[in-house]
Amino acid sequence: MTSIERDTGAPRPITRIRIEPRVNRKPIWTFSMYLAATLFGLVLSALLLWTSGADVIKAFSALLNGGFGSQKALVATLAKATPLILTGLATVVAFRAQVWSIGQEGQVYAGAMGAYTGYLMLAGLPPALYIAGIILCGMIGGAVLGALAAILKDRFDVNEIISTVMMNYLIVFLLSYLIGGGPWTEVSTSVVYQQTAPISEAAQLPALFGSSKLHLGFGFAIVAALVCYVVLDKTPLGYEIRAMGYNPVALAYRGTNIGRTIVLVMILSGAIAGLAGVSEIFGTAHRLRSDTLFNLGYTGIIIGMIGGLRPLGTVVAGVIFGGLSSGALYMKLLAQVPAALVPAMEGILMLTFLCAGVAARYKIVRVQTDG
Amino acid sequence: MGELFQQTILISILAGMVRIATPILFAAIGELVTQRAGIWNMGVEGTMLMGAFTAYFVATATGSIWLAVVMAMVAGALVGLIIAFMTVTMRVDHFITGLAVNLLIAGLTLYWFRMYIKGRAQPTFDGFENVPIPVLSSIPIVGEILFDQRLLTYVAFAAVPAVWYLLYRTRWGLELRCLGENPKALDIKGLSVAVRQYAAVLFGSVMTGLGGGFLMLGFSDRFLADITAGRGWLAIVALIAGNWMPKGVLAAVLVFALLESVATHVQVLGIDVPHQIFLALPYLASILLLMGLRRQSRQPQRLGIPYFR
Repeated sequence: MTSIERDTGAPRPITRIRIEPRVNRKPIWTFSMYLAATLFGLVLSALLLWTSGADVIKAFSALLNGGFGSQKALVATLAKATPLILTGLATVVAFRAQVWSIGQEGQVYAGAMGAYTGYLMLAGLPPALYIAGIILCGMIGGAVLGALAAILKDRFDVNEIISTVMMNYLIVFLLSYLIGGGPWTEVSTSVVYQQTAPISEAAQLPALFGSSKLHLGFGFAIVAALVCYVVLDKTPLGYEIRAMGYNPVALAYRGTNIGRTIVLVMILSGAIAGLAGVSEIFGTAHRLRSDTLFNLGYTGIIIGMIGGLRPLGTVVAGVIFGGLSSGALYMKLLAQVPAALVPAMEGILMLTFLCAGVAARYKIVRVQTDG
Repeated sequence: MGELFQQTILISILAGMVRIATPILFAAIGELVTQRAGIWNMGVEGTMLMGAFTAYFVATATGSIWLAVVMAMVAGALVGLIIAFMTVTMRVDHFITGLAVNLLIAGLTLYWFRMYIKGRAQPTFDGFENVPIPVLSSIPIVGEILFDQRLLTYVAFAAVPAVWYLLYRTRWGLELRCLGENPKALDIKGLSVAVRQYAAVLFGSVMTGLGGGFLMLGFSDRFLADITAGRGWLAIVALIAGNWMPKGVLAAVLVFALLESVATHVQVLGIDVPHQIFLALPYLASILLLMGLRRQSRQPQRLGIPYFR
């Protein structure tokens, strides 16, 4: 029998592997994928530490202790998390609409600069009004930069990733001019420090719970998360934002002005990122300088992505990564590991989470085809 | 005296342009191949940074700058493997993949760099010297600008016609361009889409790694955090501005390089404006360039769209 079959030369069925979308996704499956991604990311980070000759256990325990080990550490963590939650939320708003803006970095700077302008111009107002005015100016600063990218995309068809990257560089040059020889430079005796003079006490964001580190900015971050949740999930604008992510063509047929929605998305995203700049300068650093703002926007992208592009997930991710940033200083002292481990870990985790997202959405099936 | 001085500065600016163009050109001409194959790789900046750091590490650790160049290309290939795995195999959004890769490498290189120089003075290396081409370099003006450069600069410029030939005059090139326009056609013919896309991403990433390596070894004697400073992004802009054609890409790269070269000569030129304005010029120019483009571009039809059978 078998020999006859072979002689006919009929095509043998071939087993192939195919990737198919998973129907009926079970939450437990999704959850375990992300858990695996977290563990795998931690293993890779440990490998990174080990291959570069660091003491893995010592580094990780210092990182955890420094971030979450005591009440004092937790407060410092929340303070570090504040700008990260805000830039993460800015990412969520933009990415949910599939507007791939990475302008959060520049918008943080623009927010800080807008607020500093307000600080100089509004001096003399009653205290509460003064601070409110400064915050508003900061949000406007970020929103303007965001709107610019949206208009470039809508009117001139300029890819938003590229325009926002370029603006990130431009805004840093602008700040570098203003505080490094330009009108905002601190007048000191000899050297130029690339910073402004200290901000007066009247303009500083008030502390929360009598802490020296945690300030009103954290309250803003929580409020912003709630606002994003309500806007994205419960309002017509949120529906449009989500629909634009899924199917912009259908949305256009429904009569929605896509260009206008993109501008709105970027104004919202920019204003939130701008708030991060205000909070960092007027709540923590108490003077405008660029190194305190550096990388907040890019970290926010990772936090928004790992938070599953959901406001509440972003708060959780922001607090975790805030803890790592805060613990990094402790780790540097105790384990002699550079604080730069944290951005490296963030990058690793983002990649493993992306893979987990795919694994949760698709399944690998074996199919039999004829030849 | 005045005229001679002006001529010297002009030659210096143009020769600087050719040198500064080199790393961006490597990346742009490599990514041209990647993008024509339908992969919108946004990880150029990170790949270049990886090449630059690897070159620095190898050059200072072994003292051999040619080994450093080779390892920069290997590092580029490894990053390319990650990008190809994410975009071709896992079919993650191309933009997101690129962003993730950039952030990962920015973090990794910073960590490795700090770890490497921990507790000691930052090691330095001796970079590339100029290799004048005999006869040609003695042509007045033109010779000084074009034929008294680093060896890899000649390679980068020679890569432009080579890639043109590859894309438009070989069977491989035809299949590659087809990937960007209609991958299904290849699939139906029984030719593997995935294998070709992997190859295209790897080629682009190796060239970008080489660009990063040259950036390190051709301009400087030590590594700095974020040393690429947006040059990878400029390479992507050059692709769009050059309409995905080798000639156009070369022209766009030269524009950016000229602006940067002018910026490095500001002090010699004695122009009294904040130097940040000149530093900002290439970035500003890239936005203006993209704004002024015609809408009917020759962007590959399927660029950035994952292929499902």
